[in-house]
Amino acid sequence: MQLSDPNVNLAIILPEIIIAITGVVVMLYDCFFPKNRGITGTMSLIGIAAAAISIALIWPGGSVPASAWGGMIVHDSLRLSFSVVFLLVAALTILVSTVWIEREDVPGGEYHALLLFATFGMLLMSSGNDLVVIFLGLETLSIATYVMAGLRKSDLKSNESAMKYFILGSLASAFLLYGMALVYGATGTMNITEIAAKVSDPNFPALLLVGAAMLVVGFGFKVAAAPFHVWTPDVYEGAPSPITGFMAAGPKAAAFASFLRIFVIGFPVVGGLEAAGYLNYSWTTALAVMAIATMTVGNVAAIMQNNVKRMLAYSSIAHAGYALVGFVGAGVAASQSNRDAAIAAVAFYMLSYAVANIGSFAIITLLGQKNDRRTEFEDFNGIGFKSPVLSFTLSLFMLSLLGLPLTAGFIGKVLVFRPALEANNPLLTVMVVAAVINTAISAYYYLRMIVVMFFKERATDWVEPRIPSALAAVILVTVIGTFYFGIFGNRVIERFSQQPIAEAVSQR
Amino acid sequence: MDFVSENLLTLLILLPVVGAVGLIAHQMFWKQEEHLKWVTLAITVVVFLLSLLLLGEGGTKAGGFSFVKNVPWIEAINTNYHVGVDGLSLWLVILTTFIMPIAIISTWHAVEKRPLAFYAFLLLLQSAMIGVFVSLDLLVFYLFFEASLVPMFFLIGIWGGANRIYAAVKFFIFTAVGSLLMLVAIIALYFMHQQATGVGTFDFVTLLGSIESGTLAFSASTGLLLFIAFALAFSIKVPLFPFHTWLPDAHTEAPTAGSVILAAVLLKMGTYGLMRFNFPLFPEAARELAPIFIILAIIGIIYGALVAMVQPDVKRLVAYSSVAHMGFVILGMFSFTEWGMQGALYQMLNHGISTGALFLLVGFIYERRHTREISEFGGLANVMPLYATFFVITAMSSIGLPFLNGFVGEFMIMIGMWKSSILAVTATANWNYIATMAAGTGVIFAAVYLLWMIQRVFFGKVTNEKNRGLVDLSPREIGLMIPLLFLMVFMGVYPRPFLDRSRDAVVAIQERVVKQAGGTVEVVETFEKE
Repeated sequence: MQLSDPNVNLAIILPEIIIAITGVVVMLYDCFFPKNRGITGTMSLIGIAAAAISIALIWPGGSVPASAWGGMIVHDSLRLSFSVVFLLVAALTILVSTVWIEREDVPGGEYHALLLFATFGMLLMSSGNDLVVIFLGLETLSIATYVMAGLRKSDLKSNESAMKYFILGSLASAFLLYGMALVYGATGTMNITEIAAKVSDPNFPALLLVGAAMLVVGFGFKVAAAPFHVWTPDVYEGAPSPITGFMAAGPKAAAFASFLRIFVIGFPVVGGLEAAGYLNYSWTTALAVMAIATMTVGNVAAIMQNNVKRMLAYSSIAHAGYALVGFVGAGVAASQSNRDAAIAAVAFYMLSYAVANIGSFAIITLLGQKNDRRTEFEDFNGIGFKSPVLSFTLSLFMLSLLGLPLTAGFIGKVLVFRPALEANNPLLTVMVVAAVINTAISAYYYLRMIVVMFFKERATDWVEPRIPSALAAVILVTVIGTFYFGIFGNRVIERFSQQPIAEAVSQR
Repeated sequence: MDFVSENLLTLLILLPVVGAVGLIAHQMFWKQEEHLKWVTLAITVVVFLLSLLLLGEGGTKAGGFSFVKNVPWIEAINTNYHVGVDGLSLWLVILTTFIMPIAIISTWHAVEKRPLAFYAFLLLLQSAMIGVFVSLDLLVFYLFFEASLVPMFFLIGIWGGANRIYAAVKFFIFTAVGSLLMLVAIIALYFMHQQATGVGTFDFVTLLGSIESGTLAFSASTGLLLFIAFALAFSIKVPLFPFHTWLPDAHTEAPTAGSVILAAVLLKMGTYGLMRFNFPLFPEAARELAPIFIILAIIGIIYGALVAMVQPDVKRLVAYSSVAHMGFVILGMFSFTEWGMQGALYQMLNHGISTGALFLLVGFIYERRHTREISEFGGLANVMPLYATFFVITAMSSIGLPFLNGFVGEFMIMIGMWKSSILAVTATANWNYIATMAAGTGVIFAAVYLLWMIQRVFFGKVTNEKNRGLVDLSPREIGLMIPLLFLMVFMGVYPRPFLDRSRDAVVAIQERVVKQAGGTVEVVETFEKE
């Protein structure tokens, strides 16, 4: 093996660097100035803003190569669009958790540092073009998230949540690692671009297939797709509300980013039923079936929940299913531009889901009170007109999750259904029809939220909580986002599906 | 003025939304709840007056749309904000804008709970309804179609009767299930167009052009599937038997204004959609499935009437009568004759006016007695003579008494069905006579259930002491009914201005369905325009 120029380029990983440094600074600051803890949130927000600016700067390409660091890091639309989702999720989560940190005396510095490390992991997962880098990102993300789920040390449910998440998450990581090893064994490379070139003629076709299957299991865990979803409700219910919102929006999107990169880009359609053609056929079929199962399980189980957080946990499972619909569409896309459009659709879907989801959890955090005591459906009885701002915005988010027109959720759904229907393949059409029927099923439990808030009467007294300014900012951003993506989603999609222009440097 | 006429439809859609925002702002700064209804009324009256401008050009362009606005919306999926009116939608838009101020006035003293939200939802509903009738882009149409659900859901759920939650959720889910399948069909059409021409589109006019010219062709089975996906959404909305079960619940539980709008406008979205989209886009499938729709329509006519007969609740009775009346509309449409289709459109307007008026009248008595049980009343004509007069006239219009509007519509539909050969099995065996006669029994049943109800409620001696002190209609209530009663008579004796405007559009659709009939449907003599 000859040594090649690793092509070190700092600009291409500027967002990751900024976030990592901010994380370290926040952690150190928290160690040495424990009295001024309140400021760590602001510091983190500044770091995230700087990272966002750096993304905006490198977005058009031109100044950055399409890939660097020996091909380990890529600069493409998938990476950029998902990075936007991650940074938005991280910033909103910090704002949401101000209420919670104050109320429950959470060690703010540690929490913010963990959140930043998790964000770093997510960014790396979307920009990594190498199985090892992706795994690194995933572990950085996962370990930080395990700790965050258990931050409420004295609460048994939170502990249970963290423990379950940790054990099952590690199991999933093991599957992933094994799968990666097998893929490496079959193709002789860790680089996804090279894997894509090699799949048509792998050294060991059977090994490649088994490796891919292992990867499906591992990522299936991470995105909470059925039948690997069972950990989700317990973990989501037990974790503190702001963290639950974060987990459902951020890490899930990150898992989707890597999942997309490895499968859609790494295992593309190649003519013939042999090797890669067969591999592509196998994984798209498997994922189509998983998508149908995931949507159905998520929605049907969500109907039966009496706890709002648990309902949203099942709803997040269902939404992973909808995103998988677009995913499979990307996998079978006939052309590169169709593939990019389908990937952009999934990214847009995660963005629209993140906005509505974090918005909902912001309100639930506020209304849930200390230790999330008030998160049963009946706790929301009749608060509609007692707190019109919170109730109407929560209703809006529910309608967006349901996918009603004029909200982000609608455009997201149309976008992910499109590539799947475009393929003109019976199984994929069935999948879309299943998605549509599931949307109808989901109407029941999303509407239930509106029903309890507006149509039911309240028996006990209820005082409208004061809305802190940080939370007001979150609500404002998410409401505007829900409408903006729903009405002017065009601009976002265009951006997401356009590949940046690569610098005129030979790749690798 | 140029600006107004160029953007007239957009103004009609946006004004109520802006009005709703204005209401909220007004309430935040002035906190004068009694102003709200005045502001809302002013907005709806302005919208109505503006909509009259549509009469200038609307429906006069043969085979084309007026007041068209076509601007890109989401370029990534090539969807445009494309609106326009023709003879088919013109009257429905005006019906919507006409019925809104009446619905607002009807709630003058009835809404004590959360008036701000109530009026805001009514205005949002109006925007969505107008949007449905003028959209010419399938995705935009779907958007308004779904958007109309939310305000109605809240109206039933918050201001409805005792069983309102059940009714509201049932209403929402029934309608949403149907329309979601339509969404799949809409996206499928997009791709078929993309495969055929290289450019995917949601634009109705473009799609229709491609289908007519044969550029976009699909197999018979695909056509059937697409037709069914669209028709299911619309049939639930109409509602066609057996999808009607949401209707009695929703109607009965909704507040009076909600019932009026539901009956007058929301149900028309279904029949409008069938005529606007199903027939021109999938004519072969429409002809093939016509017998099924005709049978379901006849079942609906007879079943609705029979069930209405035994209802103990006046409002529920009127609700079931809607099922029967809408059955007539479906029957006329699927006769594929000009008489039948024009009659169906006319009957849509009639039903909007007559049934809307009936719901208003039921609301009046409910406000006085807080009950709608027929058995609670009796001899009301003695204490409320004016009310009884209005009720009887409205009921007659609903039954289809000559010189009142209902007669014109039902008569045209039955002539249309009689002339139609869509049910012809062979050259000699045509089931059209049977179908017409079966539908005709529905008219008789309508007379039975309405007259029997009138007899029990209004005539005889006052049997319940509580009814003795009832006051007759107030000037507000009389003023509310006068325009409706006037229209009932006017549309009954002079239907020509209405039919003339809609003729071109309806005939274009009819010819589109019949043209490729392969001889099974003969072109019946046209309705002379003079």
